[in-house]
Amino acid sequence: MMQKNNNISRPAYRNGSSPKALVLTGYGLNCDWETTYAFELAGAEAHRIHINQLLMGEKLGEVARLEDYQILAFIGGFSWGDDHGAGVVLATRLLYNMGEELLAFIESGNLVIGICNGFQALVNLGLLPGLDGDYRSRQVALIWNDCGSFRDQWVNLQVQKDSPCVFTKGLDHLELSIRHGEGKFYAEKPVINRLLEDNQVVLRYADSEGNPANGRFPENPNGSLEDIAGVCDPTGRVFGLMPHPEAFNHWTNHPNWTRQKENYRRRGEPYPQEGYGIQVFRNAVEYFK
Amino acid sequence: MPVRLEITLKPELFDAEGESIRRKARDYFNIHLDAVRTIHVLTIDAQLSDEQLEAARHRIFTNPVSQVSSFKPLATSFDWAIWVGFRPGVRDNPGSTAVEAVEDLLKVKFQAEEAVYTSKLYLLHSERLGRGTRGRKAVERIAGELLANDLIQQWRIYSADDWDPDEGIGIIVPKVRLAHQPSVATLSISSDEELERLSQERNLALHHRDIPVIRSYFLRSDVRAARSRVGLSDPTDVELEYISQARSDHCNHNTFRGKFFYRDLSTNQTEVVDNLFKTCIEGPTLTLQKEKDWVISVLWDNAGVGRFDQDTYYVITGETHNSPSNMEAYGGALTGIVGVYRDPMGTGKGSRLIAGTYGYCVGYRDYRGPLKPHLHPRRLLDGVIEGVRDGGNKSGIPTPYGQVFFDHGYMGKCLVFVTAIGLMPAIVADTPSEEKTTTAGDLIIMCGGRVGKDGIHGVTASSEIYSEHTPAGHVQIGDPYTQKKMHDFLLEARDEGLIAFLTDNGGGGLSSSIGESARFSGGALVELEKVPLKYEGLDLWEIWVSESQERMTIAVKPHHLERFMQLSDKHGVESTVIGQYTDNGKLHITSEGKSCAYVDLALLESGFPQWEFEAEWMEPKYRGLREPVLGPPADQRRILLKLLSRPNICSKEWIVRQYDHEVQGTSVIKHLVGVERDVPNDAVVLRPRLDSLRGLATAQALNPTYSRIDAYHMAGCTIDETVRRLLAVGGSLQHLGGVDNFCWPNIQYHPETNPDGKLKAAQLVRANWALRDYCLGFSIPLLSGKDSMYVDGNLEGDFGERHKVSGLETLQFTGTSVVEDVRRCVTMDVKAAGDFLYVIGLTRDELGGSEYYDLFGYTGLNVPQVRLEEVLPVYRALEEVISGELLASVHGIYRGGLGVHLALVAMAGGLGLEVELAKVPVEGIKHADSLLYSESAGRFIVTVAPEDTSEFEERFKGLPLGCIGRVTDKGKLTVRDLGGSVFFNVGLRQLKSAWKKPFGKL
Repeated sequence: MMQKNNNISRPAYRNGSSPKALVLTGYGLNCDWETTYAFELAGAEAHRIHINQLLMGEKLGEVARLEDYQILAFIGGFSWGDDHGAGVVLATRLLYNMGEELLAFIESGNLVIGICNGFQALVNLGLLPGLDGDYRSRQVALIWNDCGSFRDQWVNLQVQKDSPCVFTKGLDHLELSIRHGEGKFYAEKPVINRLLEDNQVVLRYADSEGNPANGRFPENPNGSLEDIAGVCDPTGRVFGLMPHPEAFNHWTNHPNWTRQKENYRRRGEPYPQEGYGIQVFRNAVEYFK
Repeated sequence: MPVRLEITLKPELFDAEGESIRRKARDYFNIHLDAVRTIHVLTIDAQLSDEQLEAARHRIFTNPVSQVSSFKPLATSFDWAIWVGFRPGVRDNPGSTAVEAVEDLLKVKFQAEEAVYTSKLYLLHSERLGRGTRGRKAVERIAGELLANDLIQQWRIYSADDWDPDEGIGIIVPKVRLAHQPSVATLSISSDEELERLSQERNLALHHRDIPVIRSYFLRSDVRAARSRVGLSDPTDVELEYISQARSDHCNHNTFRGKFFYRDLSTNQTEVVDNLFKTCIEGPTLTLQKEKDWVISVLWDNAGVGRFDQDTYYVITGETHNSPSNMEAYGGALTGIVGVYRDPMGTGKGSRLIAGTYGYCVGYRDYRGPLKPHLHPRRLLDGVIEGVRDGGNKSGIPTPYGQVFFDHGYMGKCLVFVTAIGLMPAIVADTPSEEKTTTAGDLIIMCGGRVGKDGIHGVTASSEIYSEHTPAGHVQIGDPYTQKKMHDFLLEARDEGLIAFLTDNGGGGLSSSIGESARFSGGALVELEKVPLKYEGLDLWEIWVSESQERMTIAVKPHHLERFMQLSDKHGVESTVIGQYTDNGKLHITSEGKSCAYVDLALLESGFPQWEFEAEWMEPKYRGLREPVLGPPADQRRILLKLLSRPNICSKEWIVRQYDHEVQGTSVIKHLVGVERDVPNDAVVLRPRLDSLRGLATAQALNPTYSRIDAYHMAGCTIDETVRRLLAVGGSLQHLGGVDNFCWPNIQYHPETNPDGKLKAAQLVRANWALRDYCLGFSIPLLSGKDSMYVDGNLEGDFGERHKVSGLETLQFTGTSVVEDVRRCVTMDVKAAGDFLYVIGLTRDELGGSEYYDLFGYTGLNVPQVRLEEVLPVYRALEEVISGELLASVHGIYRGGLGVHLALVAMAGGLGLEVELAKVPVEGIKHADSLLYSESAGRFIVTVAPEDTSEFEERFKGLPLGCIGRVTDKGKLTVRDLGGSVFFNVGLRQLKSAWKKPFGKL
């Protein structure tokens, strides 16, 4: 059951065949290490890249180019302190400095994931939900939690199986942590309906049985309309979600793992190792095979 | 022309911020509002065209889906409106990011005097309030006691009747205007009295015993000759401020380094205790460092360093930020947590922050008495919770653990403990990461924020009792965003080998950071005019001692400068060369080439007299303390429910959930555990290296009520509790690191203002003796520690009279341990019906200072004591059975005793317990209620699967162990008394609802 070695092994890069993931950092973003680690665990070659390496890399002697990557990750954190709306200033900076490059990146078949602050940035960039292929206008918003404060808790998530989302392929239920103050998914009724009809609503807050929370707190922790926790664009290649899959990188991240362990131990079964959140990243890697 | 942009949620959207204000007005003040809506106001004071403003409004500041905005007033219908904005010079974080965003969007550069100011307008709807005087009074209360703090904010109140719909609030620009010509003053040292007078006048807080030493230095002929060569004569204000900062109790720990004349009045024996720091902290730690090769660096740097694994170290320190938080809770606590993060950042060549923890000691949240503290405890607690929340969350550092303690004594001054843990590689750019030094020729770089008037005299103010005259200027607001950028930048610079030395600018500002770092090279030359300022008009001494936050001082070799600056640009951080380290023994400060300070660094190291204290101890029984004559209660069930709902026992989930405790993906054992994830675990465990199964456990304890009897046992029990907390999750006795944080009332005797000062001094000595004894006994090197004295306040009462209120003598103890394999960690919740339930350790009649006695208003006499020879073999056995994975759950018995903690483990597991009190190992206990609520140290509750009991019991042969019952699936706690008959029965649901009721709705 117990390994002697304290190190957790990672798959080796497969000589250029692993997709490359760009994890965007800087200006108050903060989930860079664990997101990079999650991509690596899933088999990607992941790099932490500062926003300014994309915008002014030559001057810094550290040039990074979006076109060298296949996966772009907008991560959690408090970009620009979340002042003036979470993800707003980050979105403005990217939109007016490299908006066309972002669109080209998506158009050429690559993947984009936005987690928490990254999700907020994606909706402010207009890259989500991308209704009718419009990747330029803001159609949905993530606003203050109904409970009025920042909240950290684990949630149950129902995965929409018919969604085109690349990242959730083969998943039907997830447990992940949420950690945000501005995560209430809001849009006008017709937009919400379109998202539901087109299966762009990928994740919904649920009860422990996997049924949608129907707005009940704390199962739905922020008051999101239709319990929406994550959406994708019509192609399924751009995905944004409030919960943090990268924070479930190891089995022991789960809040009840010591209870599960007692069951494994008494049955004489081996303990799991990987956290279930890694599957989200593995799906992204598999997409390029 | 400045313009005002107003932004608000679309009217059909729920306003969560407004709703929370509506709720608080009702709950706190019984003021009933129908609705509150908020409008965010940006006052843009910059030369921008209409098109540019419109672009900023549209593209940055307005979300088309959820918001509307206008350069005209948005407020339409309301009964009352409250505008709240910052006072000039107060840090406005969103204002600064607005500037960054506008500059980026419009490709413009704001001029020095241009800025964006943020403020808020609250629209109150209330039919019941009325628009007359009664209504105004209520609205003033909401403004002054809920929304704004007059130390940092200004507000205006408008009734709907006097509202001008075209002008709205008008244009309010809180720009700092200092009509002051900066200068350097020379101060007269003609006599000791003259210097003493100047010290008081300028708020220097110089100790009267230091004054002759300072004078004689400046009068020395060689000193005068050297000074005249650089154009100086009598000391300048820059110099005296420098000396004042360096000699303050906060920086120099004069109390702990002082001489105590200790007399035990019960035996009349006397003893001179020379230097508590040396004898009780430094001495034991150095002894233990020799025995423990995991202790890497202690007692000299900003934080202590321990080994995590072969090539990684962890770094830890703890601080308090009491005085500022007491005046401006949010800003004080935010500045405190962000400030303590800079300590691990500035330890060795720098570490990456991996955790922060908190401890709050405040008055009772529902206080309704006559005393008028600056902030009501409820508001104060709300503020500190939010300050630490924003400081941790916005820094991307998990806040996995914390504690709160309520006591009336903290009304005088609250305690805000903040602890920070970092991680660094053992080797950085081929050199040991824990080593650093400055060398003559190294450049002095100031990095991060700019310097303003904020924080001036913060250090000296925290060395004084809070009064109406305390300068409010030292209240400030931390900026985690700026610091996070600097943190990321400095780690990259470290890894490239660009950092020769770094330290933070905290208390004392540049004066401390340069003053201390210059001792390594043997001197420094600082050019003050190069220091970037927030605004013009600061005197040079103010620049030198300002505590403006988010700054580090770094020594960089000249040939590394270019790359250092390049990285600084990459991260959007401001770095400025402000001088050079030298080796001429002098701290030399100039401005525009003119000297304003020229002091021998050696001045601070010699010649200053030790502080002296008289300490008088009297055994508690001679002080009139007695055990109460208390018969056993008839309704045991109700007593347990009552205890569970007391503020120091009940659930505080509302605080824990506001803290991001999982960022960085390292969380293994969270603070809240159990089936419903709502009961606090003994300790938390992180896996700071994601590629490793090794864990870092941490926990904290404080037990200040025991100080009412004897601070020796207060400290002993607190250290023991910390040790047990760590062991309970799987920590090891081989690796216990400690951080001591003392917070004490004033110990300097004064017949009128501090008549019990001698007893408080004796308590401090005794607590330190316990620290020494138990750290040696448990083998805990003190990796770091701090002391904060003067936990007193003079509060106004009902009739305008003033009462001195002193905090309890408090030690917060923080512990760390390394867990080899996190998969062996255990939690406190019982796991399976049918498991056997045990109590480990002896219960004695030790209810002195307990929660049970406090319920009836008693203190008692029999304070819990830690018997090392008794508990150590127990702890060793426990460590073995945990690492052998024989236990399903482990939980220490702490405040509230066995009864409360049985309830907690049952609630957490969602399973019932059958308990026979007669099986609990005891000594000298006669009554079941004493057994249930005694707070004897050294005890645990554990559960064991039936197949593991024999192996488990075997290991505890000869040790105090009792199998007291079993875990059931009946959903209730059943307790049999000493005679074996059912004592009481209570359902888990009922227990939990009692425990959650007090703060459940927050």
